[in-house]
Amino acid sequence: MFKAKIIAVLLFIGLAGLCGVRAIGAPSLSAAQPSPAQEAWQKEFDEVCSKTQDAMTFSQEELTVLLRRCDALLPQIEKLDESRKKVYMGRLRMCRGLYAYVLDAKRNEKK
Amino acid sequence: MNKRIFIALALILVFCGQALSQTGTKKKRPLPYEYGRVIINNYSEKANLAPVVFEHWIHRSKFTCRVCHVDIGFAMKAGATDIKATDNARGYYCGTCHNGKMLSEGKTVFESCSRNVTAKDAKRCERCHSFGKTVKSDYDFFSFSQPLPKERFGNGLDWEKSEELGLIKPASFLEGVSIQRKSLSLQNDFALIPTVAGMPEIIFSHKKHTVWNGCELCHPEIFMGVKRGTVKYSMVDNFEGKSCGACHNTVAFPLTDCQRCHSTPVQP
Amino acid sequence: MPMCSMQKGTRKNERGLLLLVLACGVLLLGNIASAQIYLPKPPPEPSEYGKVILDNYSTAGPGAVVFDHWLHRSKFTCRLCHVDVGFAMQAKATGIRASTNRQGFHCGACHDGKKLFDGKTIFAACSDAANDKQCARCHSLGKKGVREYEYKSYTKKFPKGIYGVDWEGAERAGVIQPADFLEGLSVKRAPLQSREDFSVKAHYPWVSDISFSHEKHSVWNGCEVCHPDIFPTTKKGTIRYSMFLNIEGRYCGACHGKVAFPLNNCQSCHPNGPFWAP
Repeated sequence: MFKAKIIAVLLFIGLAGLCGVRAIGAPSLSAAQPSPAQEAWQKEFDEVCSKTQDAMTFSQEELTVLLRRCDALLPQIEKLDESRKKVYMGRLRMCRGLYAYVLDAKRNEKK
Repeated sequence: MNKRIFIALALILVFCGQALSQTGTKKKRPLPYEYGRVIINNYSEKANLAPVVFEHWIHRSKFTCRVCHVDIGFAMKAGATDIKATDNARGYYCGTCHNGKMLSEGKTVFESCSRNVTAKDAKRCERCHSFGKTVKSDYDFFSFSQPLPKERFGNGLDWEKSEELGLIKPASFLEGVSIQRKSLSLQNDFALIPTVAGMPEIIFSHKKHTVWNGCELCHPEIFMGVKRGTVKYSMVDNFEGKSCGACHNTVAFPLTDCQRCHSTPVQP
Repeated sequence: MPMCSMQKGTRKNERGLLLLVLACGVLLLGNIASAQIYLPKPPPEPSEYGKVILDNYSTAGPGAVVFDHWLHRSKFTCRLCHVDVGFAMQAKATGIRASTNRQGFHCGACHDGKKLFDGKTIFAACSDAANDKQCARCHSLGKKGVREYEYKSYTKKFPKGIYGVDWEGAERAGVIQPADFLEGLSVKRAPLQSREDFSVKAHYPWVSDISFSHEKHSVWNGCEVCHPDIFPTTKKGTIRYSMFLNIEGRYCGACHGKVAFPLNNCQSCHPNGPFWAP
C-alpha cells in the first residue's frame, strides 16, 4: 500500500514537471511539437478565418455556419496558455465579428 | 454646512473651470519621425525598465497593417494589447518576428524579451525600452525617407506613392502566422456627403483600405454601421479617435490634411 | 455647557462661510470685469509686437533666438509656416533644435542654404560652417547691430493702421505679396471653397456683434491653421466664446493676442462699439 502511494506520488511529480516544461514552452513559433489536439483546433481556426476576405460573397446560411464554427472554437481557445489565449481570443473576436457584421448587413439589405 | 461649502466650491470651480479646459489652442505637431510613435508602459516601469517606444514608420514600410493588427493581434490603442515579456519570449506579439531567428532584408531580427536576461542584454533591451533615453537605432528616419515621395503632415511621406513606385514593399503574409487567404472580393468605393455645405465630397476607397487592412481590422470594431447612411460620422468624433480617426489621427495621414479625403468638388 | 460651545462653533462656521461667499463674489466680479469690460493693457511697440524669444536650448551656447514675425509675415502666409512647416503657435512649444534644423525640419525647412525665394538662396540655419556673426542673425537676444533687417526701415513704405502696420492694406496695395507655396516644401492642393462670413453674437449690449470674415482668414491660413486645434467644433453655437478666453490666448486670442492685430483694436471685430474703444 505504502509502496503504491510512493509510486503514485512520484508519477504525479513527474507528470507535473513535464506539464510545467510544456507550459513555458520554447520561444519560436515553429515551437516544440504541438500535440495532435492543439493542431486540430488550429487547423479549424485557419480554415474558418481564412475566408474573411470573401465574406461578402457568402450567403446568410454559409455565414451562420461560419459563426457557429467560430463559437465552437471559443472553449478550445479558452483552455490555452495565457499568451496563446490572449492572441487567439483577439483574432477570433475579429474573425467572428466580421462574419456577424456581414450577416447583419445582408439581413438589412433584404429588409 | 457641508452642503454650503460644497456649493461654494462648485461655484468657484465653474468660474475657474473655463481656464482649466484646453480647447482653443494649437497643439504641438509631432515631427515627421515622431508621428506614429506609440509609448507602451503597461509593465515596463514596474519591471524597472524604461517604457517601450514603438515607431510605426519603420514597421509600416515592411508590413501591411493587417499583418500586425489582425494576424499577430495587436490592438489599435497604446497599452490595450497587454503585451508581457513572457508573451514576447514565447513568440507572440513582438516576439513573432523579434525572435533572433527571423530574417528581414538579409539581417536577423533581434530577439525581444528573452527569458533569461543578463547584464549583457541591457543594450538589447534598450533598443525598445528607450523612452527618455537617446538610443541609436539601426534605422535613421532621415536617410530612410530621403528617396521616398513627400507629402504633407504625418510622416511627411506619400506612403501610397512609395508603394506604387516599388520603393517600399509591405508584406501582407507572415509564414506561420498569417492564414493563407485565397482571394479578396473588393468592396466598392463610395461617396460620403459632408453635412457642412460647400465642403467637397469624400470619395472613400474601399480598395485602398482593404489592400492594407483586410476586412476585420475595421469591421465591426471601428465601423459598426451596416447600412449606409445610418451612421452620421462627424469630424469631432474623428478627431477624438472614433471611426476614421482610429487610424487617421496618429498613424495614417492625419485628418488635418482635409483635401486628401474631401477631394471631389461639389457639383453645382 | 455643551450648548454654549456649540453656538460658538456655529458662529465660527458662519463667519468662515461668509468669507467663502465673499471670495466667490470677488472672483465672479473679477471675471466679469476683466472679460467683459475689457480695459486693454497697452500692447508693446509695433516693432516688438509678434517677437518670439526661443531659449529652450540656446541660452547656454550661442544665445537665445529672437524671431520677429513682421519680417516673415511680409513674405509668407501664416499657413506656410504653421501648416506646411508645422511650427506651434506658442513660444518654445515646437521643440526646435539645431539638429532638427540641420535635418530640414522647422527653420531648416526653408533655411537650408538651397531653397530659393525672391531669387535669393535662403541662408542655412545652424550650419556647421557658420561663423559667430552668421549665428547671431537669429541668436541675437541682447546683441546689437547683428540683424540684417530693421523694423522701421523695412516697414517704412507699408501703410499704417491704428496700431502698427496695416497688413491687409499692405497686401491690397501690392506692397507685400505673401507667398503661400514654397517649392520643395509645400504640397500643391486644390483650394477648398472659402467658407462664408458670419456674425457672432455678442453677449452684452455695450458691444456690437462680431463680423467674422472666413474669406480673409482662409486666404492667409487655409483651413488647417485654425481647424481643428483652435476651433474644434463644426457646429455654430457649441462653443461659448468670451473675451476672457481670448485674453488667455485661446480661440481668437491664439493669434490676435500676440501676432495678428491685438485685441485692443476693438472695432476691427466689433464694428460699432464698445464705446470706450480707442
